[in-house]
Amino acid sequence: MILHLLNRSPVTSRVIDDALAAMGPDDRMLLIEDGVSGGLPAQALFFKNLAGRLFALREDLVSRGLLERCGEHVTIIDVEGFVDLTEEANKTVSWY
Amino acid sequence: MSGQETHDLEARDPDSVVDNSVTAGDLLVILRHAPHGSSWLREGLDTALVAAAFGQRVTLLFAGEGVLALLTGQTAGPLGQKGTHGVIDMLAMYDIDTLMVDGRALKSRGLCTDDLMLPVTLVEADGVVSLLQSHRLVLNF
Repeated sequence: MILHLLNRSPVTSRVIDDALAAMGPDDRMLLIEDGVSGGLPAQALFFKNLAGRLFALREDLVSRGLLERCGEHVTIIDVEGFVDLTEEANKTVSWY
Repeated sequence: MSGQETHDLEARDPDSVVDNSVTAGDLLVILRHAPHGSSWLREGLDTALVAAAFGQRVTLLFAGEGVLALLTGQTAGPLGQKGTHGVIDMLAMYDIDTLMVDGRALKSRGLCTDDLMLPVTLVEADGVVSLLQSHRLVLNF
C-alpha cells in the first residue's frame, strides 16, 4: 500500500488527476494543508473511487474551520494517525 | 545498459516498445513541470543525475506538463536563461535510459513521440500505478 499525500485543493489544482491516476486499488490518500478542502461534501465526487481510503488531517481542518464541515467520504485523523498511516504504508508519495 | 536488469516480460517480447510491463528500479522521478517556467523540472533532473551518479537505477516518468521537457527544438530563454534540454541530452551519459512518458499527457497536448528528442516508452494510466509500486523510492517534481 502506498500513502499518497495531497496538499492542493482539488478545485483549484489539477494535480489531483495525476495523483488519482497513479493510485493502485489498495493505496490510500491523505489530504493535508490546502488539500483538506477536498473534505467538503461538495468535493466528494472527486474521490468517488476512494471509499474508505481517503483521509484528512484534523489539524489542517481545524485551522481552516472545516472540521465540522467535512463529509462522510473522508476519515479524519490527527498527526498520530498520520504516523500510523505512514507506518502501514510501504512508501509515501507527495503530490503538490 | 551496464547493470540494468531487463524485466522478464520484456525479455520475452523484444519488440514491445509501447507496453505496460513493469519497469523496476531504485528511484522513480516524476517530472510534472514544463521547462523555463519554474525550477521544478531542473531540480527533478538534477536529483535524477545525482542518484544515478551514486549507482542508483533511476527511472524518469514525464507526466502532465513535464512531457514538454522532451520536445525537440528547445532553446535558451529570451534573456539567455539556460533551459533543461541540455540536461536531457546528458541522461544517457549517466546511464539513465529508462524514460517513460504518460501517453495520456502527450495525447491531450496533441503531441506524439515524433515530437520528442529521445526514444521513450509510453505508459498508459494503469502502467503508472505499476511504476510507483515497482520502485523503492518515488520523488515527485
